[in-house]
Amino acid sequence: MPKKSKSNKGERIRRTLRQWQARLIDVLLGTYLALLLHRIWYYHVILGTPPPPFDVGDFPLYLIIGGGIFLVLNFLKASPATLIHAHPEGRRRSIAVHLWWWIGISTILTGWIVTRVSVFDLFSTEGLQGARRIFSAIFSPDLSILWQGLTAIVETIYLAMMATLFAIPIAFILSFLAARNLMQHHPVARLIYSLTRLLINFTRSIEPLIWAIIFTVWVGIGPFAGMLALWVHTVASLTKLYSEQIENINPGPIEAIEATGARWIHVLWFAVVPQVLNPFMSFTIYRWDINVRMATVIGLVGGGGIGTLLMQYQGLALWHQVGTLVILIALVVWVMDYLSARIRAALA
Amino acid sequence: MSLLTLHDLHKVYPNGTHALKGINLDVKEGEFLVVIGLSGSGKSTLLRCINRLIDPTSGSIRFAGKDVTQLSGAELRRYRAQIGMIFQHFNLINRHSVLHNVLYGALGRLPLLGPLLGHFPDELKVEARRHLTLVGLADKETNRVDALSGGQQQRVAIARSLMQHPRLLLADEPVASLDPATSHSVMQYLEKINKEQGTTIICNLHFLSLVRRYASRVIALRAGEMVFEGKPEDITEAWFKKIYGEDAEEVEIK
Repeated sequence: MPKKSKSNKGERIRRTLRQWQARLIDVLLGTYLALLLHRIWYYHVILGTPPPPFDVGDFPLYLIIGGGIFLVLNFLKASPATLIHAHPEGRRRSIAVHLWWWIGISTILTGWIVTRVSVFDLFSTEGLQGARRIFSAIFSPDLSILWQGLTAIVETIYLAMMATLFAIPIAFILSFLAARNLMQHHPVARLIYSLTRLLINFTRSIEPLIWAIIFTVWVGIGPFAGMLALWVHTVASLTKLYSEQIENINPGPIEAIEATGARWIHVLWFAVVPQVLNPFMSFTIYRWDINVRMATVIGLVGGGGIGTLLMQYQGLALWHQVGTLVILIALVVWVMDYLSARIRAALA
Repeated sequence: MSLLTLHDLHKVYPNGTHALKGINLDVKEGEFLVVIGLSGSGKSTLLRCINRLIDPTSGSIRFAGKDVTQLSGAELRRYRAQIGMIFQHFNLINRHSVLHNVLYGALGRLPLLGPLLGHFPDELKVEARRHLTLVGLADKETNRVDALSGGQQQRVAIARSLMQHPRLLLADEPVASLDPATSHSVMQYLEKINKEQGTTIICNLHFLSLVRRYASRVIALRAGEMVFEGKPEDITEAWFKKIYGEDAEEVEIK
């Protein structure tokens, strides 16, 4: 029975791994809870003063006390992580559940304190006056800059379009390399797949705003920098969307075309591409729509278009002019959103 | 003369499933060989090993006197081009026209660039229309295939495989998603190709009534092993129980 003992061994290894995983999670959670109990509950809630600045030297203390207690609980099968893998009963379960509640509530409390949520600021007389001033200015726009605003927003729309257009061919090719179902047959292919995914996820994790800052330094302030920023981000996003679409196709036609003795490129072109073309177009239009909105924000950091104009008027506190631009942006975003939804519905 | 010889063919999937356990099979030119067995008995794996859509783990495949077990690249494609294949779910290219779907059967012998640009030689179109006429779909060539009925789609798939001028035609449960009347029509087209063009056919089937009607020889697989080999009329009640299990009941398809 060599096969059976092998599977038992596999099962044992998996169980041991799960146990160590649970212990690690418990130590991390315990440390976290100890930190929050001391610095948030003790200082902010009980003493009402901000805690002293955090010192890295304190960290081992939290680790030993919090992590230690949780680790002991883990061995007693009454720790939070126990609940992930097992179903303890009675008092053990009750302790574990209570600790989860403490972690959850402390986390929300911490969030409240960190973001300095203040109902007082939101509804103070002074604050409300300021808000009214801006809103009334926005809703009595200065139409003398309408032409200037229109020119700028057309620039934004074209900028978004160029970023999308230039992204399509690159995303199209990359998406095939980033599709698991097409890249699993060969070790080299799997490596290419992993590298492409890594590159895409890294690029996507950097916001277009940051890319815009990078490109304004690289090519100078203006629409070109904005276009490049959107382009980089769009390539990454479209590749991800496209490749997920490829992963969802019906493998039957691939088999059928392969069985005719067709070349690999013909298999892609005749069995894969027809299945993904419409969804690709739909994603692309959706992305253009997103890009118009993003292009506005990117203009704020010097990426050209209406965002840059908005920034200038806002810097001079010319709220009536800002109002004109805000209304223009809202209008264009609404129209783009509507059109893109209609086109995508027609493609589906 | 034997067209295809499988010797001690094994297939173990990465997840450990032992789908084929030493299949030995000799297929003569012009046979209509039917493979029966429960779902999961290895029938589909067997067919896909023959045209190397799946690589066998061990054993050898000889086709027309040539060992094809290790072929790769352009040689493998040339080998596959000689073997047509039709599927339970037809596997046509939806949204594309009937004529184009048939033309795709010739991809194995076309140059790289032409098809990518949508160019197919006129003589191929003439040939494709001939095959469409053979399967009774001459008037449908401009239709989108996804607008056709199941039986019609399977006939398009047959026409596509004919574009390969196949010496061997593999049919993986070609009628399993069709109604009984349509099933017979599709089987009759396969029979016609077998009889008139001498194309060897290996076909997976579920219904014994179809097996008795169309097969010239039958093999049965059970858990990856060949448990029966003989004439369709030799499948007695006892053999049936052995192939499909004690609880099985035969279902007729008229």
